[in-house]
Amino acid sequence: MVSLNSVLLISFALFSIGVAGVLIRRNALVILMCVELMLNAANLNFIAFARHSGSASGQAFALLVMGFAAAEVAVGLALVVALYRRRDTVQVDDINLLKG
Amino acid sequence: MEHLLETLGRNMFGVFGLLALAGAAFMVAARSAVHSVLAFLFTMLCVAGCFLSLEAEFLGVAQILVYAGGIVVLFLFVVMLVEISKFKQKAKLEVFQTQSRIAVVAVLAGVAAFAGVFRNAIFGPTSPEALVLRPELARGLDVAKENAQAVSRGLFADYLLPFEILSVILLVALVGAVVLAKSERV
Repeated sequence: MVSLNSVLLISFALFSIGVAGVLIRRNALVILMCVELMLNAANLNFIAFARHSGSASGQAFALLVMGFAAAEVAVGLALVVALYRRRDTVQVDDINLLKG
Repeated sequence: MEHLLETLGRNMFGVFGLLALAGAAFMVAARSAVHSVLAFLFTMLCVAGCFLSLEAEFLGVAQILVYAGGIVVLFLFVVMLVEISKFKQKAKLEVFQTQSRIAVVAVLAGVAAFAGVFRNAIFGPTSPEALVLRPELARGLDVAKENAQAVSRGLFADYLLPFEILSVILLVALVGAVVLAKSERV
């Protein structure tokens, strides 16, 4: 059956891919998607530990995290659209107004 | 063939997990944002499969509804609004950042340290108490009902306050998204 370690390993790999994507991609949309990926890896951990401990609290929290992710995506995409209106780009390299 | 199918069925979590990893890797590596979104959809569906195979039936279905039904559609809308004209202008477009090497190295070192912390747990001897299937799994649909009951009890009884705070946060995010995305002239 599924061991806790394999779940942890896969969720760790998903999280690492998300971190790598946030760091190396330039497209703001793809960066947002990578953040979602990291939240999903955290959810996977929640569910694995909920099953491991036999209580549903972890699953309830995973549901809460899903709601936060939806809110975050709504605001993030609104930011991307506003950015595109003002600066005509979605590449994070072109957004350097605050860079010294 | 039957043996193979049986093995696949027993290792459903591994199958979905590896597919999710492949989708995530493709999502990060794809040049076109549309391809990234489609790979994201695939990854989310595979993660939902992982949830299902971990007996979180309600969350698996909620994942499909929220991500495949809502978030991916939002992403596709924004890609449609934003991308095409820009990508035609800049033919030679660098996909990956090259300036932030130090940041990449620093975070990779952090990830490696994190992996080191968990090295024993992950690569060491397997934990004695593996996640075994609940006996009531055989009853099929009953489990889904009980799972939803258990989750709702956790959500509405034990964690009512976080749930209510989440509803307020969603409202604020809704208003904020409208304010941010509306055009200036209105």
